[in-house]
Amino acid sequence: MKINDLSLYSKFAFRDLIRSYSKILSIIITLLISLFILSAILTIEDSLENELNENSKVLLGGDLEIDYNNREGDSNLIKQIENISTVSQVVEFSTMISTIEKKPNKTSFTRIKAIDQNYPLYGDVIFEPVGSLKKLNEIDNTILVNENIFKNLNLKINDIVKVQNKKFKVIGVVKVLPDIGGAFVFGDFALTGKKTLDKLELNTLGSFLNYEYKIKFDDYKNKDKKINEIKKIFKNNDKVKIQYPENSAGGIKRIIDNFSQFLSLVSISAMLIAGIGIANTLLSFINQKNSSIAVQKAIGINSGNIKTIYYLQLLFSLIFISLVAYGLSFFLVPVVDKYISDGLGLNIEASFSLTNLFIVFVVGLLVIIIFSIPTVNSIDQIKASSLFRNVFQSLQFKYSKLSISLSLLLLTILVSLFASRSSIPTYSLIYFASFFICLAVFFYVSRFIILLLRKNLLNLGISSKIAIKNITQSKSITPITVMSLGLGMTLLLTLAFVGSNFKREIAKSIPEIAPDYFFLGIQNNQKNLFKKIIIDSDKEAVMEIVPMVSAGLVKINGIDPNTYISDSNDSYWVIMNDRRVSWVNTIPKDNPILEGSWWDTSKPNKLQISLDSKVAKDFGVNIGDKFTLRIYGREIEGEVVNFRLVNYQDLSINFAMLLNPQFAENIPHEYLSTIKFKNIKSFNEVNFLDKFPSVSIIKISDYLSKVTDVLNKVFIAVSILSAVTVIIGLVVISSAIIVQGKIKIFQNLVFKILGFSKKEIIMSSIIEFIISFLSIIFFSTIFAVLASKFIIENIFQLKWLFEINIFFYVTIGVGVVTLALIIITNFRYLSPKVYPLVRNE
Amino acid sequence: MNYTIDNNSINILKNISFEVDYKETISIVGESGSGKTSLIMLIGGLEKISAGNIFFKDSEISNMTEDEISEIRRKNIGIVFQSFYLIPNYTALENVSLSLEINKLDNATQKAKEILDRFGLSNRFNNLPSQLSGGEQQRVAIARSVVMKPELILADEPTGNLDSENTENISNLLFNYIKDENASLIMVTHDNNLANLTKRKITIKDGVISENQ
Repeated sequence: MKINDLSLYSKFAFRDLIRSYSKILSIIITLLISLFILSAILTIEDSLENELNENSKVLLGGDLEIDYNNREGDSNLIKQIENISTVSQVVEFSTMISTIEKKPNKTSFTRIKAIDQNYPLYGDVIFEPVGSLKKLNEIDNTILVNENIFKNLNLKINDIVKVQNKKFKVIGVVKVLPDIGGAFVFGDFALTGKKTLDKLELNTLGSFLNYEYKIKFDDYKNKDKKINEIKKIFKNNDKVKIQYPENSAGGIKRIIDNFSQFLSLVSISAMLIAGIGIANTLLSFINQKNSSIAVQKAIGINSGNIKTIYYLQLLFSLIFISLVAYGLSFFLVPVVDKYISDGLGLNIEASFSLTNLFIVFVVGLLVIIIFSIPTVNSIDQIKASSLFRNVFQSLQFKYSKLSISLSLLLLTILVSLFASRSSIPTYSLIYFASFFICLAVFFYVSRFIILLLRKNLLNLGISSKIAIKNITQSKSITPITVMSLGLGMTLLLTLAFVGSNFKREIAKSIPEIAPDYFFLGIQNNQKNLFKKIIIDSDKEAVMEIVPMVSAGLVKINGIDPNTYISDSNDSYWVIMNDRRVSWVNTIPKDNPILEGSWWDTSKPNKLQISLDSKVAKDFGVNIGDKFTLRIYGREIEGEVVNFRLVNYQDLSINFAMLLNPQFAENIPHEYLSTIKFKNIKSFNEVNFLDKFPSVSIIKISDYLSKVTDVLNKVFIAVSILSAVTVIIGLVVISSAIIVQGKIKIFQNLVFKILGFSKKEIIMSSIIEFIISFLSIIFFSTIFAVLASKFIIENIFQLKWLFEINIFFYVTIGVGVVTLALIIITNFRYLSPKVYPLVRNE
Repeated sequence: MNYTIDNNSINILKNISFEVDYKETISIVGESGSGKTSLIMLIGGLEKISAGNIFFKDSEISNMTEDEISEIRRKNIGIVFQSFYLIPNYTALENVSLSLEINKLDNATQKAKEILDRFGLSNRFNNLPSQLSGGEQQRVAIARSVVMKPELILADEPTGNLDSENTENISNLLFNYIKDENASLIMVTHDNNLANLTKRKITIKDGVISENQ
């Protein structure tokens, strides 16, 4: 087609669209909703990543960070850095904060940041009252606690709390910390001064202290030169890790990436459901234009050019819808900002991205073309000769080998586009495969229902007969109803089952099997007293106590472990920082060996390592491979001798790496303990901390309640989004009924003439709906059960149960809304005016 | 030529053969179901014949693809229908200028206005078909079919949906135009008065030409 032809047909298309847009309103609505969701996901993801990238220095806390891990930095080397930049020393550690003046006194497990006067080098600490941050380094034993601790411990400014048996004055509340790239995302935190830390004499914390040196270049223009100078300073010191801003907040980025990938898949599901409606509404639109198209053919416009006009109309609509959807997504950013800024301290702002707009447009274009090919091709069925006879055949979808191949090709591009953007493409591909299997099943279910009812096996009342006739007629909306609502229901039920099972496990099942407390930092000489105190509290308490030491995996088979794994992998955490390792004589009963053999006691002087089988798989490690661990600064090479199946979900003591005790017990170590009390009330945390001030206590129920809070927010967001697929399904059904409008009017007119009551006609709609809906529920439930069971049992490794309440809430909720919509949509056809119809007007 | 439908089971037209001269006007008459409308559909290239040939000037249109026939129809053949068939969401002016626009002629709107003015519709340019009377709609339809100055006009019962007054107006309009513009006309009609206005009358009975005078 020539350019001037295209210009001419564009003009026709634009004119037609302006005058007929109301007839394709359902296409516009469904596309707008689904493209809005996709736009929102892309915009929010982009805004968050921009925020993280733009504030990468703030999140890291400097232009560079020298991570000394659990050792204090070499003062000579630090001085050299101070000569060329500003340095801020930050020491992080976890410990308990407890009240001493309250009734009753309470405790809280807290991550404390000991800061110097240079902190923060970038960004702002939000705190109150004014001046309290400065006082941390002016007055000893002062502390700023976060809002959660302040509230839970019922604190007031100037209250005294106890940390490691030392008294601290609470001089303020800290609301937001700038450098959240580390561990301050979900837990409680507090700030204290560097001098105070020195006085705390935290030797007992040993390997649990983390020393970081944040660096800010005074002359940022020469940053590359300065980075090289710093690299030179640490050239011979491979025990420190230099962190760069671009690597900050990796964990948050991974969470955002995974979450947005999942939501993107939900949005494409919504769009594909919308596609079913697009095909149907477009066919109806072309049917209405039947005579106009015939006229166009009669005056010499060929079929190809007429199709071009319709594709151009869709293209123009899509351009408009994409721009509106993308524009609207910007309004959602402040909502999300409010939602997450409390937790993460991030301040996100919408930013325009041409790439995202293009992605939204391309996805919309692919969906439109895939679903409109057989519809627009139906234009070939229109004959100009019909104008002589005044008889227009109702159009049908037109499939050809070429159009099917083209649709499949475009579908492959669409799937590839989403899979390629995913960090785990296999998951996306499995999702798409499941989606299309469900689509096919629902299509054949609808055909089966029609075939079955055509057999006319039942001898029913008149309303049922009308309902059955409606379902089995050639223009039946049953296939569209079953497919669009079936897919939406499947998705919603699956997420509801996953959510409810997950929450149930966290709220009930996990606490039943999980210990009540974790005790960290029990020293060797405290072990027996610790046991005694626990037994004295509750004789029936189940106690597990294991040795523990901090170790960094620095080499695998003599080379950098980073060459074995990408930072987007689930198991990257193993090498991200030092990890806690332990040792046991016998195989842990809940950690069966999958490969290799238990300790070779004939080699007590050789380090042997038992590895989590998932970690081994993700790293591509084999039995016999060599791991170099750095423990207390000393590098020790050991051999991987077996792989264990580790189940972290039971929250009992689980380690990715276990060492052979003959070798490891000579290493200075602490103990970690879990306790499950028979009578939890018998244990007094405050009294315990009086005796063991250096021991940290993690109460599992507090931890689980925090996880539940976060999960609740996540499931609300996911449920709202998946409910959109149902809403789109409803719009599709509604438009399908409207498409049937003329047939319905004639049918109801005949019924009216024959003396049917409105009640009987409404009843027939209800029966028609119930027949379709029961089959939708049946198959959606089967799919949702299979999918949610797989997710809960295989991915989360939790116990799956059929949640009957959730099943009823979702099915009845969707059923009532759908039925109401069907009745409302049909209502307008209930009282047809006889005169215009008998006059064929 | 022959024309059959439903996989050769129904013979609509059998051994039809005639020529239309330049500027000639022909009416095709016959009983309902005799094959009159099928005949002009075939002449307009809107259906394919089963056997034989149809020539438009020196070109055999019966062998042409749909696109090739569309090209000929677009420039050389105007069709008038009994039920007018104006595009409902186009104004009278847009319905007429459509043919000019797809032929990429300059001043399409101006030319369309001129023809509508000639047909007495200068005050109806911007009215939609639903806002026009039956006679006005048919005048717009004729204006649309002749605006490209086609060499052949095919008309299927052009006055079939009109009252006697409008029938006379439309027939005068059509025949005056044909005379002025030197076009040929093939018209299907049941109206003897209208048929008598043509130079030749072909009568079809049971799919064959029974009279050609």
